[in-house]
Amino acid sequence: MDLAIETFDLIKRYGSIVAVNKLNLQVKSNTIHGFLGPNGAGKTTTIKILVGLLKPDGGKVVVLGEEVRGDNPDIRLKIGYMPELPRFPKHLRGYELLDIYGKMYGMPAQERKTRIQRVLEIAGLKGRERDLIGEYSKGMQQRLGIAQALLSEPELIILDEPSLGLDPAGMVEVRGIIKEIAKEGVTVFLSSHLLYEVEQVCSHITVIHRGVCLASGRLEDVIAKIAGPAVLEVELAEESEAVFEALKNLPFVSKIQCENKTLIIEFESNVDVRPQISQAITKAGGIIVYMNMRKRGLEEAFMRLITKS
Amino acid sequence: MRRRSCASLRNLREAKVMAYTGRIGDRVSRKPKFSERFLAVVKYELLWNIRKKKFLGVLIAAFAFSTLSLILPIILSYIFETPLEANPNFVIGRGGISSGFTLFLFALVSVMNSISGEFESGTVIPLMTKPVSRSIIFFGKVFAAFLTISAAYVLLYVYIAIGGTLIYGPQNNLHLIPICILGDLLSTFVWVSIVLALGSLSKNTILTAISAVIVFISISISAPIVSVFSEGAWILNYVPGNGMSGYVKGIGQGMLPGSSVSTGTDSIAGNLVRYILNPSENVTYFKVEVGAGIKELYSEPLFMVLARSIFVALAYIAALTFIAWYAFKKAQVLD
Repeated sequence: MDLAIETFDLIKRYGSIVAVNKLNLQVKSNTIHGFLGPNGAGKTTTIKILVGLLKPDGGKVVVLGEEVRGDNPDIRLKIGYMPELPRFPKHLRGYELLDIYGKMYGMPAQERKTRIQRVLEIAGLKGRERDLIGEYSKGMQQRLGIAQALLSEPELIILDEPSLGLDPAGMVEVRGIIKEIAKEGVTVFLSSHLLYEVEQVCSHITVIHRGVCLASGRLEDVIAKIAGPAVLEVELAEESEAVFEALKNLPFVSKIQCENKTLIIEFESNVDVRPQISQAITKAGGIIVYMNMRKRGLEEAFMRLITKS
Repeated sequence: MRRRSCASLRNLREAKVMAYTGRIGDRVSRKPKFSERFLAVVKYELLWNIRKKKFLGVLIAAFAFSTLSLILPIILSYIFETPLEANPNFVIGRGGISSGFTLFLFALVSVMNSISGEFESGTVIPLMTKPVSRSIIFFGKVFAAFLTISAAYVLLYVYIAIGGTLIYGPQNNLHLIPICILGDLLSTFVWVSIVLALGSLSKNTILTAISAVIVFISISISAPIVSVFSEGAWILNYVPGNGMSGYVKGIGQGMLPGSSVSTGTDSIAGNLVRYILNPSENVTYFKVEVGAGIKELYSEPLFMVLARSIFVALAYIAALTFIAWYAFKKAQVLD
């Protein structure tokens, strides 16, 4: 599969502090990739290197097939970037700013007009575009940040904490927007502190801590690998040795515990095997009273990773 | 009620996310021309410049001083009950915008936060991540400052020309006004390049402004003292500002046996006009000796003075703009 972002042993130092330490990041095209880590993990530094704001001290960065080296504005034609807590010139009006940015992308006047209206609508700024940015609230500047990142219909969108400063309704809207733009074949690289948000929208994640990659891959796989696979809790009408034996022999069951009439079943992976379990129990003469699939969450996996490292 | 509001929120959300689908056409794949990117930056900066309160304040002050210079003779003639005489050289005889301080102020307010302000406020981040090179951003900003200051000077000269004609009668050599504007712009851009270099290196607006004012005041205070009391004042010809003081022989001014001339980069407009009108004039330098009066040092053609000041101005502009550009190009955006 094509990679939208690839870094090779990326290093960035601030004096004696190593912010990014031989980071090898791979972001597949047409995915929503979450970039997680505690404060000071090196997320924003990595993103700034990707968009050319910072120069790495070592390693290589390839974005959309082109190596990011020096000041190369043509790579940025295909990237939409929303910085963490974006700030824009207070003297400009929202519409003026987007119009100027549109010109920088070489968009013709009519396309700019239509596109600006569209992104204003998406970002929820319609009706306020003629106001000076200095009169915008933090949340509105955040929305303007989203609008300008989407303006050029980029192939890759890099969002650094897109929900920061938004109200709960705004956060829900942002999640909806991210999902929709990904459907269009856009790769979204999303840095966020909100694990719930990442779990909701991302298909892949990378977790970094102290500039080092701790885990990377499909969201379910990372969770399963770190926090362990899902656990199924099954309550039977009666205790049954036959059911216990039948379940033990299933290939995807890794561990089974019996507490009176309740069975706690652990699996090799996170794949949903409830139908097979149900079938096996019935075949062995058991009657299911209650069944609950307890999936391990990203939060659990994240905390385990960080604590371990 | 609650259900309805939830439904409307969902509809709103759907409407918004739907808006992203159904593209206008293909994604932006056309590489924008250099001119498109450059003019976009110029517009970005120009809109900022003309809305800066500091810039508008200096422009208003410049108009106020120009008005004062226009009406002061009227007030004096009224007080002393002397008739106001026609002065056909009022406009061109001024020799450029009123003073070096005005040129410095225009430079300072136009570019003191062009670079440093972007870094301080964080607005440089979205700007630098657009498909525009740092060189285009930098030179777009410089060009926008050039346009803003040019427009201000044109307005000021037009105002003075109209006012001068109305008060002092028909004016001579008004065709030299564009030369004056050009000279003043060259003088101003020496200060612009100093302020830009300070801004790019410090990335701090207050530090930039304070350092620029210190540079200006030190030169302004030391230059006349060095010029009048030292034989080694030639060094001032290579420092921004007023430069050396000399005179061209003619009708005396105060203790001088002629009209005074400044040789520095701030006086290019006045010297240009003087040279066009009297190309064969010589500038004589002097030294004041306590008790002995004025001692003539040496003379040189006005052309030499003018050519040197233009060369020095261009050298400063080139060198300092290069430093500012290089610092901006290599800057890393940490915060």
